[in-house]
Amino acid sequence: MFGEKVLELVQELQRSRDGTMLPFNEDGVRKVLEEMKALYDQNQADVVSTREEGQSGLFSGVQLRHTCLERNQRCLLAYLHNRLAIIRNMRWEFGSVLPADVKQNLSDQEFQWFTKYNKSLASYMRSLGTGGLDLTQDRKPPKSLYIEVRCLVDHGEFETEDGTIIVLKKNSQHFLQRSQCEHLIRQGVLEHILS
Amino acid sequence: MFVTDIRKDFYEKVLHKRVLVLVSFDVDAICACKILKALFHCDSVQYTLVPVAGKMDWERVFSEHAEQLEFVVMINCGATLDILETLQPEENVTFFVCDSHRPMDLVNVYNDTQVKLLMSPEESIPKYEDIFRDDESDDEDDIGNDSDGSEPNGKRRRFDEDVLERRMERRRKRREWDGHRHQLLFDYEEFSGYGQSAAMIMYDLAWKMSKDTNDLLWWAIVGLTDQLLSKKIDRETYVLEATELNRHVARHNHRGDEEEDSVSINSMRISFTSELQLALYRHWSLFESLRHSSYTACNLKLWTLKGFKKLHEFLADMGVPLSECKQKFSAMDMGLKDNVTDWLVTSARKFGLEQITLSSFHAQYGFKNKFCAFDVAYGVNALLESVETEKSQEGYFLEALDCLSRSNIDKLAHGLELSKRQFRATVNTVQSLLDMTQVISAGSFLYAFIQEGTPDTRYFARPNCLGMLARFTLEAYVKMSKNRKARTLPLVMTAPLNLETGTLLVVGIPPLPELEQSSKNFFGRAFEQAGKKTSSRILHDNFDSSVIEMKNEDRSKFFDALISLLT
Amino acid sequence: MASGDDDITEEWSDDEVEMTAADVQQKIEEAWLNEKFAPDLLESKSELVDCMLEQIQQMESNISRCKKGDFRISVHKMEIDRIRYILNSYLRIRLGKIEKYFHNILKKEAARKDDEPSRLSLEEFAFAKEFAENTENHFKSVALRHMPPNLQALEQDKRAPKPNLDAYVFLRANQKQEQVLIEPELEDDQNAEVIDLEEGAQYIMRYQPIASLVTDAAVSLI
Repeated sequence: MFGEKVLELVQELQRSRDGTMLPFNEDGVRKVLEEMKALYDQNQADVVSTREEGQSGLFSGVQLRHTCLERNQRCLLAYLHNRLAIIRNMRWEFGSVLPADVKQNLSDQEFQWFTKYNKSLASYMRSLGTGGLDLTQDRKPPKSLYIEVRCLVDHGEFETEDGTIIVLKKNSQHFLQRSQCEHLIRQGVLEHILS
Repeated sequence: MFVTDIRKDFYEKVLHKRVLVLVSFDVDAICACKILKALFHCDSVQYTLVPVAGKMDWERVFSEHAEQLEFVVMINCGATLDILETLQPEENVTFFVCDSHRPMDLVNVYNDTQVKLLMSPEESIPKYEDIFRDDESDDEDDIGNDSDGSEPNGKRRRFDEDVLERRMERRRKRREWDGHRHQLLFDYEEFSGYGQSAAMIMYDLAWKMSKDTNDLLWWAIVGLTDQLLSKKIDRETYVLEATELNRHVARHNHRGDEEEDSVSINSMRISFTSELQLALYRHWSLFESLRHSSYTACNLKLWTLKGFKKLHEFLADMGVPLSECKQKFSAMDMGLKDNVTDWLVTSARKFGLEQITLSSFHAQYGFKNKFCAFDVAYGVNALLESVETEKSQEGYFLEALDCLSRSNIDKLAHGLELSKRQFRATVNTVQSLLDMTQVISAGSFLYAFIQEGTPDTRYFARPNCLGMLARFTLEAYVKMSKNRKARTLPLVMTAPLNLETGTLLVVGIPPLPELEQSSKNFFGRAFEQAGKKTSSRILHDNFDSSVIEMKNEDRSKFFDALISLLT
Repeated sequence: MASGDDDITEEWSDDEVEMTAADVQQKIEEAWLNEKFAPDLLESKSELVDCMLEQIQQMESNISRCKKGDFRISVHKMEIDRIRYILNSYLRIRLGKIEKYFHNILKKEAARKDDEPSRLSLEEFAFAKEFAENTENHFKSVALRHMPPNLQALEQDKRAPKPNLDAYVFLRANQKQEQVLIEPELEDDQNAEVIDLEEGAQYIMRYQPIASLVTDAAVSLI
């Protein structure tokens, strides 16, 4: 059935709703493009035969194929577009370096897109005020200046802005400035304790 | 040295610095820690909090965090150990110790610079001059000695004689002083015991800074209660301290008669009442609670058939139907529930349970949550010493720390459930120990070995729990035994600790308190000496010197040595 | 585009002297809330942002001059944290909208007349262009290039998501507004409703009719 392969791609996206990155389905995309080519060629042939050989009745076939072609195009673009959206969210989640398992799942071109996006975002952030402003910080409204955090994994030494070194070992609790440890909370190294 | 003004000499010193807080594994320490944390949060003092289970942990954590550290606070750990010697810190590090373990190490007491003790000084501490001595005069003596030996001539001979006399006089005095010192030290360090609760010291600090609240007060109460429940202090001391806390309770929970002015039902109210010594009875059924509380179980001798019947008589005397007693307490008939405590007290007197009530505190917030200090202390302890294998010991410590907050009632409820399981295991074990007469008298003390095999034994791989079992057993045995002397004997109990490494946990408890005296525990030294004599592989890791770990194989020779030592 | 920006800057520099720090902060908060609830990208308030960033820097240097342990330090730090959060949130929301509706926004920008204020700051415009180029190239190189000739156009006009100007928003009128046309698109003038907005009253209605009022600061979105 025409258009099934591309539907699979879209369904794949649907299933990975929770934001995980599935591997780029190179194979699927290629098959869709092949299908499109086949449909187009078929259409061309039909048009030629209608024009030259005067066969009628092929019009509905052409129309059907054209609709399929359009549908394939739309779905394929949607697939790509949504993947880009996920990659963009990853940048905001993880920072400018992606974890290895996510990187594996990107196609080369997606990775290039990511690099360019990174650069463009970085130059935008740099241009704000003097010295730039890191927009990926301060994701939640600050409730207090200092927060209590619990260390979930052995992270080793961690240096704060004013130079003090804190040793982050599993199952130790610390009371620090919120702005210093926000990124560690996002990474899952620390857990915010609300007493 | 002892701090005189806890606010100026301790709190204000750490006010704008970073602090490392080391906390040991007991409920009193957890409560003190919570109070201190609340104070630090108020003043934005940055800290790092690490739980330490024993001496090895303590040393390790200090060395890990030692870089750039200037202030260390130790809660319920460190007073009995020579801090400077063991940790070898830099010169700019100051230690603040808030520990209820006694005896305090004398080097800590008399150190002027780096060690500050937050406890109050005690009379039993020997004076400085009796223990430490500047050795200058001795050196002179020795030098004089060396040069004197070579060339005697007339004048010098006379000179020599004078010098000799003086030297001999000095030496005699020195020996006298040494002997006196030795005796003092021996007496001072012979017995281990406990001082004021760390939580109360912290609460006192909070009060002096006018930052005390009902929550902090409640934690101080729980800390004190834990000391009573683990028999670290006796009833008299407890009553004195509780009265002291009651003043604060009255101050915070003052409610006039005007109903309109009363505060929201969700705020915490603490009240001071006479409480039954029945463990967890509000969260359990009356019947179960009577069976598992050590006071009632031992006095009614519930492991015997006769005792069991007596229990039923007791309940009948109270006037409460048996089916109600076996119901969950909260589900009991309303009319009965209100009166049951009075009936219980009346009946108790007839059955020889005069001391069934004890004044204590309970806290109430919201309509659902009413907790008695005893129950909370049991619950927190059960969480702290949980033997489930999901988390590490430190993980459970942090959970116990969390459960004291009002927003974590569900954790406390879980702790109470764990506590019930602990009680059941304890009663079952006591029953089997007595049935099979496994409590053996060695003349000067009693001992019992818990064998592995039953699923209950895993609960006793923890020091506080094993201690509770030991006290229960001792009480039960004393009540059972016809031997008058049994009353004065202490008990040593071992339980399997770790099957893989083949170690045992050994706990020694003092004899039952006679005439309301708090008993002294001499097992710390005894264990040490017995171990040395037999070169057994023992580990004196716990801050409590009467708790040690030992290898299975060394048990028999260790006990032989112990017996010969103590007879 | 550049000249338009200069005009704005000049206007601002006249007024800027008269605005206190508190005023700037209030305006930033308003801009932030408006941006958050409006479905479309609003005017760029980059002058306010710059001003605020300067404020932060000044506060930070003040703090470093205070001696340690001064009570004011934590209060100032808290304030800096809060301001930074608002700024970040504001800029993030704007970036999000730019990324989502980039085609639409760039088209509008290209069609803009010189005397109209720009919706994007210079830097945002550069970012938007880069983003558009990046994304369109990606689509072209991965998919469109391989497609049949008649389907190789991206046709963003049809496909690109447009902001939903019909979304309902809550708003509060800052000034009395008379005769606000609720459904101006309807050709049938008799049926077009007009209402008066009382000062201080709160309403809920579609975004489209009051879009211009938001720009004029006559109403605030809540």
